[in-house]
Amino acid sequence: MNALDIELVSVSKSYASMAVVRDIDLAIPQGEFVSILGPSGCGKTTTLNMIAGFTAPSRGDIRIKGRSQVRVPPERRNIGLVFQNYALFPHMTVTENVAFGLKMKGVRREEAETTVKSALRSVHLEGMGKRYPRELSGGQQQRVALARAIAPRPSVLLLDEPLSNLDLKLREAMRIELKDIQQQLGMTFVYVTHDQEEAMAMSDRVVVMWQGAIAQEGQPAALYREPNSRFVADFIGKSNILAVASTATQAAHLELAVGDGLMLKARKTELSAAIRYCSIRPESIAVLPSGVGGNGFANLLNATVRRVVNLGAAFEIDADLGSDVRLHVLLRATRASVPPSVGDAIRLGIEDADIQPLSA
Amino acid sequence: MNRLISIFYWFSLGAVLCFITLPLIVVVAASLSPTSAVTLQPWEWTGRWYADLWSSRWLDPFLASVKIATVVAAISGVLGLFAAYAVVYERIPGSDALMSCLLSPLSVPQIVKGVAVVLFLSMIGLQGFLGTPALIAAHVVLALPFVTRMVATSLANFDANLDRAAQVLGASKLQRIRLVVLPMIKPGVLSGVTFAFIISFNNIPLSVFLVRPGDSTLPITVINYLEYSLDPVLAAVNVASMAFILAVIFLFEKIGGFSAQLHGGSK
Repeated sequence: MNALDIELVSVSKSYASMAVVRDIDLAIPQGEFVSILGPSGCGKTTTLNMIAGFTAPSRGDIRIKGRSQVRVPPERRNIGLVFQNYALFPHMTVTENVAFGLKMKGVRREEAETTVKSALRSVHLEGMGKRYPRELSGGQQQRVALARAIAPRPSVLLLDEPLSNLDLKLREAMRIELKDIQQQLGMTFVYVTHDQEEAMAMSDRVVVMWQGAIAQEGQPAALYREPNSRFVADFIGKSNILAVASTATQAAHLELAVGDGLMLKARKTELSAAIRYCSIRPESIAVLPSGVGGNGFANLLNATVRRVVNLGAAFEIDADLGSDVRLHVLLRATRASVPPSVGDAIRLGIEDADIQPLSA
Repeated sequence: MNRLISIFYWFSLGAVLCFITLPLIVVVAASLSPTSAVTLQPWEWTGRWYADLWSSRWLDPFLASVKIATVVAAISGVLGLFAAYAVVYERIPGSDALMSCLLSPLSVPQIVKGVAVVLFLSMIGLQGFLGTPALIAAHVVLALPFVTRMVATSLANFDANLDRAAQVLGASKLQRIRLVVLPMIKPGVLSGVTFAFIISFNNIPLSVFLVRPGDSTLPITVINYLEYSLDPVLAAVNVASMAFILAVIFLFEKIGGFSAQLHGGSK
């Protein structure tokens, strides 16, 4: 177990009587890439501002490297911050921007020059030092902002939706680059975003926030596979969420009654509360031709195709199972796969482990 | 339709430009008039009226005006900066009321202000302040709303994230003001200061109550001269002071004033 870089201990923030952040507990070990993911208004930015020190928590404690920071102003927390709008100093050159933090720390000139150069090298902006921010593209400006934040070697780097002003292609390239830089530096990154793809692509751990509290946290794959609530299942990736009317425990399976009396067999799990929904990922449903094979599946269901949407890499099939149940199915587009047509009768195969019971 | 709009556009632009520049051209032409009457004779001209400008009759008031305007620009620049900083940036309690108070001199006619200053000074027995000290104080009151307003506007456009960025990088409040806030609002401050200078340099309605005989500003000297004679010297004085003001604007422009303000952000 690494040393903890950041600890939030039952941190809450309320304005007047409005609770914005409620009882957040979070421990981030040194060198971890953690994303705080949630829709706008979920309290993620407030949480970030509390770690940075711009907002004081109403209750609870924030520790960086084991020391309480509640009374420490932002300028003495030794953190880095990357903004959504870059917030580069427009009257300074790239070099002056990157050197700013070092200058404030009183780092000697020659040493600062070397550090600035290596920071610019790590974001692939060598030779751009004499330019002004307005002479750079959005992507380059964001790199400068990153270099500026990492140059003073902060103990943690906070990133507030840093990629959301960039276009899609650049955003995807920057994801990989950010992750590379983080691993090279071995620095703790706390990344705030509303973009679940971004969070999934880069993070060691994702903390999903909803309505001011942590809805679920875990490794990206685990969150995707085993969401613990309807909100997380729906927010991370796409999912079919079905309301569960009643459950019955069988020898090998858990039977969930969905829609108008359709029974689904799910793997047995232990949930503290009653099961109210279940989630099935569209890509985990197999499309089988009518009448042949499919013996390996715990659930074999007859369905009628209502709509087929070509997404390029896949076909999205809207399948009507009768009994008031509809499922979105993702069929990977390969040379061999022939998509069904509207009105076709198909069979769907779902493994028991792919049906995730949810209690909330 | 587009053609019609285009014609209207160029016509109105031309009309506005003529309206602004023609009187100036007339003054320039009059200052070159060969006879002592102010006439327009484009085919004959002389520069002799300009030679008169070097006499102490015109040079002394000019220097007095420059001195007063410089001090007024400096004082109102510093005060306006402080006021706008407190009101817009720090949002001290009662900011809105304070801002209204700072802008209130705009709503009092200058003549009323002039009379008020004279009455006030004589009431408290400080008639001795009439002349330069009273002129400076009154001009500062007059110019302060403009400076405050301009600095306030550039502070309102200032991205608070820049301040936060500097803060997490370890800059103290004073360092942030010096290294980030001031450079960013410099164009606003400089244009405010330029306005203060021009307002003071050209002022008549307020100054007329406050000058002392033999210690007058340039515009007041022009007014007094105009009472007894109208000759091309006046036109020459006006052309010279116009050229001077243009030079001042140009100077401030060069050190990062208006155009940077207009185009957003500074170098």
